[in-house]
Amino acid sequence: MAGLAPQVDYLAGFCCPLGGLAAGKPRVLCLGAEIFLSTGSELVYVYDQEAGLLTAVYRFPGQVWHLELLALRRALYVLCAHRGIYCLSLDQAIRSVSQDDGDDGDSEDSQDGESPSRVIPVDPDACVLHDATLCTFTVLDNLLITLAQGPARWKVQLFECPCPGEDPRLKGQIGEVELSTPPAGSPREPAAPYFLPVLCCMSPPGSRVAHSHLHGSRGFTLEETLFGLLFGTDASLLESPVILCGLPDGQLCCVVLQTLVTSGLAPGDSKALVKILHHLEEPIVFIGALRTEPLAEDVEDSHSDCLVALGHHGRTLAVKASWDEAGNLVPELREYCLPGPVLCAACGGGGRMYHSTPSDLCVVDLARGGTPWDPMQPDRGPGGLPSLLCPASLSVCSVVTLSVSSRAPEGGTELLALSAKGRLMTCRLDLNSETPSPTRVTAANTGRKIKELLSGIGTVSERVSFLKKAVDQRNKALTCLNEAMNVSCALLSSREGPRPISCTTTTTWSRLQLQDMLTATCLLENSSDFSLDRGWALCIQVLTSSQALELDSASSAVTYTIPVDRLGPGSRREVTLPLGPGEDGMLDLPVTVSCALFYSLREVVGGALTPSDCSKDPSLDMCPLDVLPEQEGICLPLSEHTVDMLQCLRFPSLATPHMQAPSLLSPVSDPVDTFLGACLGPGSKLAGPASLRATYLPPSVAAIKVSAELLRATVGDSYSGVSLCCATLQWLLAENAAVDIVRARALSSVQGVAPDGTDVHLIIREVAVTDLCPAGPLQAVEIQVESSSLANMCQAHHAIIGRMQAPPRTLRIRGPES
Amino acid sequence: RSHETPLGSSTPHASCLDLWRQRNDQLVRQAKVAQGLSLRRQQLAQDALEGFRELLHCLQGLPAAVPVLPLELTVICNFITLRASLAQGFTEDQAQGIQQGLERVLETQEQLEPRLECGLSALWDSVLHSSSLLPELLPALHHLALQALLFSGDDHLDLTFLSGASEDLLLLLKTWNLPAEESDAPLTIQDARGLRDVLLTASAYRQGLQELITGRLSRALSSLHEAASGLCPQPVLVQVYTALGTCLSKMGNPQRALLYLLSALKGGSTWGPALLEASRLYRQLGNTAAELESLELLVEALSITHGSEAPQLLIEVELLLPRPEPASPLYCGTQSQAKYLLASRCLQTGRAEDAAEHYLDLLALLLDGSEPKISPPPCPTGPCMPEVFLEAAAALIRAGRAQDALTVCEELLSRMSSLLPKMPQPWGNARKGTKESPHCPPWVSATHLLRGQAWVQLGAQKEAISEFSRCLELLFRATPTDKEQGPASNCEQGCTSDVALQQLRAAALISRGLGWVTSGQDTKALQDFLLSVQMCPGNQDASFHLLQTLRRLDRRDEAIAFWRRLEAQTKLPQENATWSLPLYLETCLSWIRPHDRETLLEEFQTSLLEPCDL
Repeated sequence: MAGLAPQVDYLAGFCCPLGGLAAGKPRVLCLGAEIFLSTGSELVYVYDQEAGLLTAVYRFPGQVWHLELLALRRALYVLCAHRGIYCLSLDQAIRSVSQDDGDDGDSEDSQDGESPSRVIPVDPDACVLHDATLCTFTVLDNLLITLAQGPARWKVQLFECPCPGEDPRLKGQIGEVELSTPPAGSPREPAAPYFLPVLCCMSPPGSRVAHSHLHGSRGFTLEETLFGLLFGTDASLLESPVILCGLPDGQLCCVVLQTLVTSGLAPGDSKALVKILHHLEEPIVFIGALRTEPLAEDVEDSHSDCLVALGHHGRTLAVKASWDEAGNLVPELREYCLPGPVLCAACGGGGRMYHSTPSDLCVVDLARGGTPWDPMQPDRGPGGLPSLLCPASLSVCSVVTLSVSSRAPEGGTELLALSAKGRLMTCRLDLNSETPSPTRVTAANTGRKIKELLSGIGTVSERVSFLKKAVDQRNKALTCLNEAMNVSCALLSSREGPRPISCTTTTTWSRLQLQDMLTATCLLENSSDFSLDRGWALCIQVLTSSQALELDSASSAVTYTIPVDRLGPGSRREVTLPLGPGEDGMLDLPVTVSCALFYSLREVVGGALTPSDCSKDPSLDMCPLDVLPEQEGICLPLSEHTVDMLQCLRFPSLATPHMQAPSLLSPVSDPVDTFLGACLGPGSKLAGPASLRATYLPPSVAAIKVSAELLRATVGDSYSGVSLCCATLQWLLAENAAVDIVRARALSSVQGVAPDGTDVHLIIREVAVTDLCPAGPLQAVEIQVESSSLANMCQAHHAIIGRMQAPPRTLRIRGPES
Repeated sequence: RSHETPLGSSTPHASCLDLWRQRNDQLVRQAKVAQGLSLRRQQLAQDALEGFRELLHCLQGLPAAVPVLPLELTVICNFITLRASLAQGFTEDQAQGIQQGLERVLETQEQLEPRLECGLSALWDSVLHSSSLLPELLPALHHLALQALLFSGDDHLDLTFLSGASEDLLLLLKTWNLPAEESDAPLTIQDARGLRDVLLTASAYRQGLQELITGRLSRALSSLHEAASGLCPQPVLVQVYTALGTCLSKMGNPQRALLYLLSALKGGSTWGPALLEASRLYRQLGNTAAELESLELLVEALSITHGSEAPQLLIEVELLLPRPEPASPLYCGTQSQAKYLLASRCLQTGRAEDAAEHYLDLLALLLDGSEPKISPPPCPTGPCMPEVFLEAAAALIRAGRAQDALTVCEELLSRMSSLLPKMPQPWGNARKGTKESPHCPPWVSATHLLRGQAWVQLGAQKEAISEFSRCLELLFRATPTDKEQGPASNCEQGCTSDVALQQLRAAALISRGLGWVTSGQDTKALQDFLLSVQMCPGNQDASFHLLQTLRRLDRRDEAIAFWRRLEAQTKLPQENATWSLPLYLETCLSWIRPHDRETLLEEFQTSLLEPCDL
């Protein structure tokens, strides 16, 4: 079957949105030579296949989700999203077209899809059923069955259609039942569902409905045995049609139509009325029925003997009736896996089912399954389902809706298809002739042959461009991934020595909007051979000490994510971010600033998994990316930096006049307060409790004594030539901006200001400790911290202790760059 | 803050407010014009709804301010009224709308932060507390609170703080003191007072119905009286009267119950529930003629389909009532269900001719293809379809129309032929490899049993006996181990109950035995009767037939022994037949029952025992 080459004819092109049509909503139906088509927009087109032109375009007040033809009554039913169902009389449609046929008979090319003069807005009176929650519907003889998204559950409702000539409005609901599963999504606002549910009518052969014209797109007549087996004795005895619902959650359930008729407005009991046949565990996109066994000679009309349901990802269910060894009737149920994602499908004659994926249109043969029936296995018999389905490619890509044409050529099948690019085409398959007989070339059929070849080239080129784009995207994604791997390896393998990519953090005070802010500057430096490309981001996490004490510190920490947009080898990037103080003037020290590189797989790989051609299709957007969890990516920690009190101290007393040091403002710098303070004059006191404490309580004092020898060993190398006290102070303030002044003036005590504006006094002096060692007094250095605020004193003390406890190597690295 | 600015300074603001108000009033007028069923008008109402939505977006796009809030809350009320009446129901997003309105009120009071985690009741509490400072908000807030009650359903919103301390919703509604609306307030589609009355009636009725179902009858009575005395539209009044009738008949006051049912019938156009209730009442009273007459009326009443009336664009009592469930006393089912009830009651009360006619009508109603209207089967509350056929056949036999009964059975078998297992032909060649015979649904055997009975009535003993044999052959096949297999429908468990199967076997054996007796083959009859006694020891009919046959064959000793056993058995207290058999089987069993058992027993005593005493 690999050599199946359909004869493809392009009929017309229709407007389609950028990125192509999405599957699920477009529909194409045909009745005789007329083709009714919707592309998911507000328009419904009527195309005459014989004349080869567009005869009418209707504009509906909302997106068109579904079309059904009621051929017997010459009526077209249209579901308009969030509005309801509209009914158009076909005779009327043709009449209105023939009226304005005169003025635009020459517009042969319907490439634009519509010419504005022909767009007929649909009369609001044509709406036969107002219901904003309807998702799909189907018609059967004089009945209209709808599936609506109720507030809690799916709801099947049954309406009676009026006879022709009557008031076209529906006579009112005659039955209702709720399905057991709730629709997905929030109940608050019934958003447009990603996948619409599908409905399908199955009739028993004896049904009066079956005798009438049943060539709606979704109606099938099932053989008695399969019908009774699936739907029960009562349904067969009553010869009642059955509605099959395929829901987006994968449930396949059925409702016997006659039991659905209820009195008044009372809804039916869903437990008794609704039977769940199967659960496909993926959104059901198609339900159909097929005839798989050859017809007996004396039967004229063929009833389907196999029920099929297709899931979005290609899982396929097929059910047939068979007898077990004892002679009991049992269902034979098989699941297959076809290539997905399935955009649409259709059932053809001869046990063939067609299904379309973004890259191909395939046909599977459920009668044979692509393998010849093995006469050596009489157990299975010719009636059994094949154990494996082999899809055969038809080499047509991105078909978003399919319909089996009623004008099938002898011994073959004609499919009507609409491609994602908005092209309407017919695919003629001659399934009988396995080997095409050599035809004699005549002048007459040469022209036809050339035409066929040209349209074949068109199909192939559309397919090639699509595949090429997909391959390009994948290549790009692979290159990106390779680079990311290189960077990761370089960073992770260099544990010793300087890292190829580093991030250093420094802090400074700066004035932002009348308020002094402590800002951290992170410098990302790429000294490796690779460049950081799209997908990389620098993540900086700021964690204050109070947050660190909380249990879930990760959630309360502030994380900044800055995309790194092309950082080539040797280049650097600087990021500055504020650390505080916050609005309350407080800064919880110490603050830890951690830097890491993050590589988002979603950003890089996600694009390649979704073919860009169909990126508008929500179903495609959703599915492959579900494979990647929300936070999927590579995280490489770079550095961690702790900002403590000693780094944040400011020394206004040291500022030389010519340096124009900014005068310190209190952190909460309300201009009114400043003004009031100025008015009250220097003599007045602020009446806050903090200032009271500052005035009347003695300042808090803490002293740390360290062995002079140890200190000298630590700081000695780089601070030779100054007294130990001065060297110690310089060492303590090594990361403070004021260290240069301290060094220049050789200070051993200094008066600083904490971030909240209170004073902090550091005094270093040499003392002798007598009571520790019996051998005599020890030389020691006393570091005294004095502050009117206890909190500041503690934070400074904590910072000093931190310096003392840090390993010497780190101390040296942090030393001044002299 | 914004609302503290003197009004004079916000002149442009006030004109904007006026514009919005005019928009609200215009939309309300539009919605009131749109009452009716015509599609244009529905469209008009839909447009008004969209208008309210847009207006609300406009109003809520700005920070909440006290001068605008009364209008904003009124627009929310109008939106909810229109939305609920158009959708004929309440949805979550409407409740969200109310909550958002409350949060906007709190926003002006700057109390929003700590309240967010509290429940809805606490939200209401704080809103009403803070709104005591803002009296101009009160009318709209009370209206909104009434609407909030619509959503709360059974898990009632605690609004007791509105009217003092009462847990009872009815009392709360009755004592709810609505603040007077100002004459220049923005227009509303439905005013708060009307909504309160609707709520009061609806909740009284709901409460009464609930208590009626749970069996607290006296409380149900008072609640229903409350509902009837309130503002009650005619269709609802009919329902209330019917519920009152049900309640009174349950309380043992049939006469008063009938009075209420009569007024329900006089009151409106929905007669179904009242007629069904009346038939139950007459059945309880033993008045079969009246019972059947009400059932006939019920069938007629249900055949009338009346179009739905134009819904008002208001929140009405009907909207707040639960839709009748099968458990509710107001559930009257469909026409075919009523027809089935009538037919089966006729059969049970021995009116065979009527029963036959009604069954044939029912089958025509269900199966006739000529009429385009489809009608539902008595399923799922009633029996399954094969049983309806079998009961019809039984009724026809009983009415003396054996030929028609044969036709009905034929129809059933032919319709189901494709679903029946492939029978290995007992006389054919298929004998070779069958390890076990296929399982057959019990109703197939029952069909053969009834066909046999029809032949008996037609006097064709040979055909009858062969039908009984076919029935027995099917019945004694292996039952499937896995009952889920095969075309099982929900009804088939009913007839597969072990007791029913046992009785079916006994009935078939006795029937065949009686056939042998008629054709004079007493030994064969004896064999069947013996088998049936073994099969179903509780069935005394088999024992009587056995006894009679033994006597006829003059096997005295066995007869005496058996008679002793039977007498001992009859002296034992008869175990109550708690199990219920399918109606067709009951009917069938009644045909093969010996007529006067007492006289038979006495006869035995004299004819068997006296010579023995010698």
